[in-house]
Amino acid sequence: MLRVHGLNSYYGRAHILQDLSFDVAAGEVLVLLGRNGAGKSTTMKSLIGLVRPATGTIRLADRDIAGQEPFRIARAGLGYVPEERRIFADLTVAENLEVGRQKPRPGLLPWTEARLFALFPNLGPMRDRLGCRMSGGEQQMLSIARTLMGNPGMILLDEPSEGLSPLIVEQMAHTIVALKQEGVTVLLAEQNLHFAARVADRAVVIEKGRIAWSGSIAALQQDETARAQYLSV
Amino acid sequence: MDVVLLQLLTGLSGASSLFLVAAGLTVIFGVTRVVNFSHGSLCMLGAYIGWTILTHLPRDPAWFVAGVLLTAAATGLIGMALEMTLLRRVYRAPELFQLLATFGVVLMVQDITQWIWGAEDLPLPRGRWLRGGVEILGGRFPIYDLALIGVGPLVLGLLWLLFTRTRWGTLVRAATFDREMVSALGVDQRMLFTSVFALGAALAGLGGALGLPQASANLNIDLTVITDAFVVVVVGGLGSLVGAFLASILIGVLQAFGVLLLPQATLVLAFLVMAVVLVLRPNGLLGKAQATARSASIACLVRPAPTALKLFAMAALLVAITAPFWTEPFLLSVLTEALISILFAASLHVMMGPGGMPSFGHAAWFGIGAYTVGLLVGAPLPLALPLALLVAGLIAAAFGLFVVRLSGVYLAMLTLAFAQIVWAIAFQGVSFTGGDNGLLGIRRPGWALDAGNFYWLTLGVCLGGTLLLRRILYAPLGYAIRAARDSAVRAEAIGLPTNRLRLAAFTLAGAAAGLSGGLFSYAKGSVFPTYISIGHSVDALLMVLLGGVDSISGPIVGALAYTGLYDMLLRATSLWRLVLGATIVVLVVAFPEGIAGASQRLWHRVRPT
Ligand SMILES: Nc1ncnc2c1ncn2[C@@H]1O[C@H](COP(=O)(O)OP(=O)(O)O)[C@@H](O)[C@H]1O
Ligand SMILES: [Mg+2]
Repeated sequence: MLRVHGLNSYYGRAHILQDLSFDVAAGEVLVLLGRNGAGKSTTMKSLIGLVRPATGTIRLADRDIAGQEPFRIARAGLGYVPEERRIFADLTVAENLEVGRQKPRPGLLPWTEARLFALFPNLGPMRDRLGCRMSGGEQQMLSIARTLMGNPGMILLDEPSEGLSPLIVEQMAHTIVALKQEGVTVLLAEQNLHFAARVADRAVVIEKGRIAWSGSIAALQQDETARAQYLSV
Repeated sequence: MDVVLLQLLTGLSGASSLFLVAAGLTVIFGVTRVVNFSHGSLCMLGAYIGWTILTHLPRDPAWFVAGVLLTAAATGLIGMALEMTLLRRVYRAPELFQLLATFGVVLMVQDITQWIWGAEDLPLPRGRWLRGGVEILGGRFPIYDLALIGVGPLVLGLLWLLFTRTRWGTLVRAATFDREMVSALGVDQRMLFTSVFALGAALAGLGGALGLPQASANLNIDLTVITDAFVVVVVGGLGSLVGAFLASILIGVLQAFGVLLLPQATLVLAFLVMAVVLVLRPNGLLGKAQATARSASIACLVRPAPTALKLFAMAALLVAITAPFWTEPFLLSVLTEALISILFAASLHVMMGPGGMPSFGHAAWFGIGAYTVGLLVGAPLPLALPLALLVAGLIAAAFGLFVVRLSGVYLAMLTLAFAQIVWAIAFQGVSFTGGDNGLLGIRRPGWALDAGNFYWLTLGVCLGGTLLLRRILYAPLGYAIRAARDSAVRAEAIGLPTNRLRLAAFTLAGAAAGLSGGLFSYAKGSVFPTYISIGHSVDALLMVLLGGVDSISGPIVGALAYTGLYDMLLRATSLWRLVLGATIVVLVVAFPEGIAGASQRLWHRVRPT
């Protein structure tokens, strides 16, 4: 689904991502693990085009998307849910969803408001509520729902469990599993191995902008040295 | 009673026209974050295009409406072309450069309009229905004005429907809030921006065409309209449509009664309202706090000049000192004015660069200095010049007390308002300022009558003043002022009194500008209200921005380049506005960091340090 090769990104002169290469297979959930500041968000932003990668190739379903504008990448089928959620504060829930709406994609059952409210039952009753009047967890749900309205084949989730109550984190895990069952490919960024282990198939660990470890989640759970070295658990 | 009602109706119909233009401005600002100086020019184009279309149509109400709508569409298309060719290229440039680029468009449109339609005012031949009136409480009220009263609310309603009931409107509102996220969701921002700009331009054109029956198409519409629209938008709160609507009613009605009660102070009134509103509510009636413009790009402290540049400066200084020996009198007077411009521009640089406070009315301080000298007839020059500095400095300090806590666009608008008030006092206070005729017969003492001697005096004062400003900027006070600009929060945290520092920069800038104005009075032997005009404030802005705001060499280079360019253009072509405007636009697109900044970059690229 997604093949990243030799990706390098900078903020000004700071070399943040250094030669990242990894693949995400269609239908899988891959988690990008790493400490705070490791470069997870920067990787996500480089994929969606909000940060322009300096070098490297990014192929999404055999289309080269590196260096393209974000709206083209999004239309090519990559959805992005930012870490800060970025809900449009003075738009209602329904309007936020409308902004995300794009044409249906062949081979995928199109997302509608009704289907999304089924997936996120909290959102339905607050259809007309303003974005700024929602709790953190509700905003996170809405942010994902909004991105799904674009009918992406693959979705980037940047730390969706961050700062949420255990109950909502539980819901979030169910959501990701449900998305996988819908056939959506997921690239998840996380610091929390426990959460990642519940939903992901494989893991790529990054440390200071480089890939430090990769393999199956099960293998990572077994590898105590790697866990101690790269993750702050 | 009936007078009050009629005046109220007049005010409301004026408010409708104000609202149309202001609505376009505010919608464009909301999405693109560009303060479009050329919005008044679009309105003017609307008036002229409307004149051409309406004079070719039968004179009855239905055709009038059709013609006006056609005009709005045509202006919308022009706006679209403007956005696609120019504005699109400056969205990432700093705020003031965007203003500058759109001001370049203002200049170009002036010449193009004059070239197509001529310099004469073009009144619209009024069909019989346009002359009709209705009896209201014994008075006769024009039926057209009555119809106009309804247009404002009608347009507000239509815009409201457009923004809340259509997908396009939802996308626009989302982009106003977070355009990056909108694009990450697959929305092509370029289309959105272009269409928003076209809508704003169409509203401006509509306003221009609807104004035709009351005032003919003329070449002054652009600047009059843009100042009024700025006031309305700022009073209402940038980006707020309803705010603009309320503000236009407030100002329209106030102006209508102002004419009746205080005909001497009409010019001042609107600006006073704006000043009062901004002091009470720094973001306007319904506006939200603006994100700070300077978040991403913290200017690097400028490196010391390379040796070669110092040598070049020495050579230039030598040429400057010896000038009276080898130049003709005319060139010497141009050079004298250029020197005064350097100090004027340098003073604005202190405010804008290190102070981080953009000003649209810097000519106010220049004018205060100039009028101080002009009013002190008989005072010897060594007394009058320091007084020019002192008076301008004191007034700047007093005014600064109220405004230094404002930010960005609002501060720029309030300085503009202040300059307009000073201008209005000079223009309307005929009894002591001579009004439009100015103050004449300012005499230099015997030793300074000689052009060469006066040139040397100017050279000494202006270069001395500029170097002193530079000295202050690189002393601890200057560093503290920059710290306050870059992060008020952090500066406060280490104990710097940010507002007092900004006030210091503001006062310093006002005093230095006052000194340059005083010198100018002596150079010309007279003082006129034009010294305080918007045009003169923009001259200063152009000099600083052309040169680059990041170092004191910027205003020096900018002042020389601008004075030279201006002088050459004036002599070379009658279409000087077109050429100047096009030059500004090209320079802004090509060198967003100014001439001095660009040459510095080139220099460091050629010779890596
Ligand atoms: N906008 C930015 N400008 C400069 N540096 C940044 C910016 N955003 C993040 N960084 C730096 O890039 C590195 C990676 O950050 P990020 O990708 O956000 O990490 P993570 O998401 O893994 O916590 C960090 O060192 C961070 O300080
Ligand atoms: Mg992150």
